[in-house]
Amino acid sequence: MPIKIALTKGRVEKQVVPLLEASGIDCSGIRNKGRRLIFDEDPVYETILVKGPDVLTYLNSGSVHLGIVGSDILAEQNNTQYAMLDLGVGRCRFVLASTSDFDPQQVRRKIIATKYPNITKRYFQSIGEDVEIIRIEGSVELAPLIGLADAIVDITETGTTLRENNLHVYAELQPVSTQLVVNRLALKQYHSEIRTLVENLQQAKNKLGVKE
Amino acid sequence: MIKNRNLPNGTRDEFGPRAAVKENISTQLFSIFKQRGFTKLTTPILEYADVFKPLNLDNYRPYQLLDEQGEALVLRPDLTLPVARMMSTTGVELPVKWYYGGDVFRVKKQLSGSYNQVTQAGIELVGYSSLKGELECLTIALAGCQANGIKEMTLELSDARFVEGVLAALPVPQPTKIALKQALFAKDLTVYNQISELLADTEFGEFLSEWPWLFGDFDTVIKVVQKLPKIPQVQTVIKSLNAVNQFIKQMAPEQRVVLDLSIPSPQSYYTGMAFRGYTQNASDYLFSGGRYDDLLTSFQQIKEPAVGLAFDVDALADRVPLPKQSKQTLIYFNSDQWQEAETVLKQTPNSTLCLADSREEANRIAVSNNQQLLDLTKEGE
Repeated sequence: MPIKIALTKGRVEKQVVPLLEASGIDCSGIRNKGRRLIFDEDPVYETILVKGPDVLTYLNSGSVHLGIVGSDILAEQNNTQYAMLDLGVGRCRFVLASTSDFDPQQVRRKIIATKYPNITKRYFQSIGEDVEIIRIEGSVELAPLIGLADAIVDITETGTTLRENNLHVYAELQPVSTQLVVNRLALKQYHSEIRTLVENLQQAKNKLGVKE
Repeated sequence: MIKNRNLPNGTRDEFGPRAAVKENISTQLFSIFKQRGFTKLTTPILEYADVFKPLNLDNYRPYQLLDEQGEALVLRPDLTLPVARMMSTTGVELPVKWYYGGDVFRVKKQLSGSYNQVTQAGIELVGYSSLKGELECLTIALAGCQANGIKEMTLELSDARFVEGVLAALPVPQPTKIALKQALFAKDLTVYNQISELLADTEFGEFLSEWPWLFGDFDTVIKVVQKLPKIPQVQTVIKSLNAVNQFIKQMAPEQRVVLDLSIPSPQSYYTGMAFRGYTQNASDYLFSGGRYDDLLTSFQQIKEPAVGLAFDVDALADRVPLPKQSKQTLIYFNSDQWQEAETVLKQTPNSTLCLADSREEANRIAVSNNQQLLDLTKEGE
């Protein structure tokens, strides 16, 4: 039975495929995928492409053995599987951002818009503040501009989108990067195969010059 | 008409072959428990939430409701803590051997396909401090799997005292030990390697580089442990693990035994060996158990030795092949033939009475249920 990997499609997929290839996994199918979602070119690893938030759903049920997904999603979904290896790609950072007239010290219960309510709640709990959280599915930058929220918690890589929308960073929260996640029982069932993959990925990171 | 005819999230009806298989598994397990002289203990489904405070809930929470006085009640998420609660309040003479069976309720992530009601059957030995307690549990674990036709089950042994013993011996400050332990348990290799690097040149270096992968074939794991300098606490743990491995080898030479010395204990009240069983393609453990001498300390001053084991009946049911049913016989008879039909029913294995009143209807039922029709009314015609 092949070892099944759920890979987050889109940007993560593009950044991770070179690492998988350098680890000796045949990714020719993913490179020319068309509309396919299941890739069985490699004799040992079968890869499926799924949306980021679905990776843990597949992994927790045991339908796949490994997942490749951003730590933003792992933190938001309170992951309990093994996040064994930081793949070092997809690096970005959670920030608290808002318009220039936002005052973080202002005494009131602030309204925060975000795609990540759990991370937002934990951050404000850690600084001893209670906030009202509004969940937004996309274009989070709009919320403080339109007056829906006082500020936002979102991920940013370079800060360009924030700057273009005249938003300033008021606090830097946890960093984000792409992780290799392993189902707890699968690690025992496929000990040697998973260990080989992890070690190959570590070497691939060094070979491709991915920074720690 | 009732409008809401849906089941609550995470629940299911069980009928047909699956219900039969589950019932059969429980029956097999109960007969093993009884045959070995265990006594039945049934605790209520409702308990005060406080009973489960010692439970470490990582991926679920309990169903909660309030009693008449506004105190928090839960549907039991576990069957071991109620035993401890009962032991601490009833003055039962020790030692005891209990067995139990029933459902536990755990609210898991919504819309994730997981079931919130799981059937367990298990045993608790309270008052036995010797290794014989563990061996009795393991004997039952193997017998339970065998009786239900589970093939190629892997038995996993572990002992959290090993991790504590090694950590205590490491020449680094306490906060570093805690950080190393966290990274080890989370299998976060990036952080783990950063910390273990500090000890690379010590006598622990070689062992530490293998530690996150210290699980698998029993003898292979023991070889890695031998790279450690002598630590008395660790040697005691390894000695009892070896004894258990020898015991299994004698009792069931074909049984695959693996050892995991890199994981935390399943619950905070565990004090010694833990054991679990799984099959290669399953996504759940078939059984789990271990020694938890601290179990009763949450409920009373006096510590009592305890060891136990619980089978996950649903996980077993997923692995047990559906029994091949022979064709059922449908006995059709006239109302004045009831006595005769009763005799035939007793003599014919896998048969049932046809309660329809016409032969035509009996024929239809037999065809639609794939049954063989035995028509008693024809006789003597």
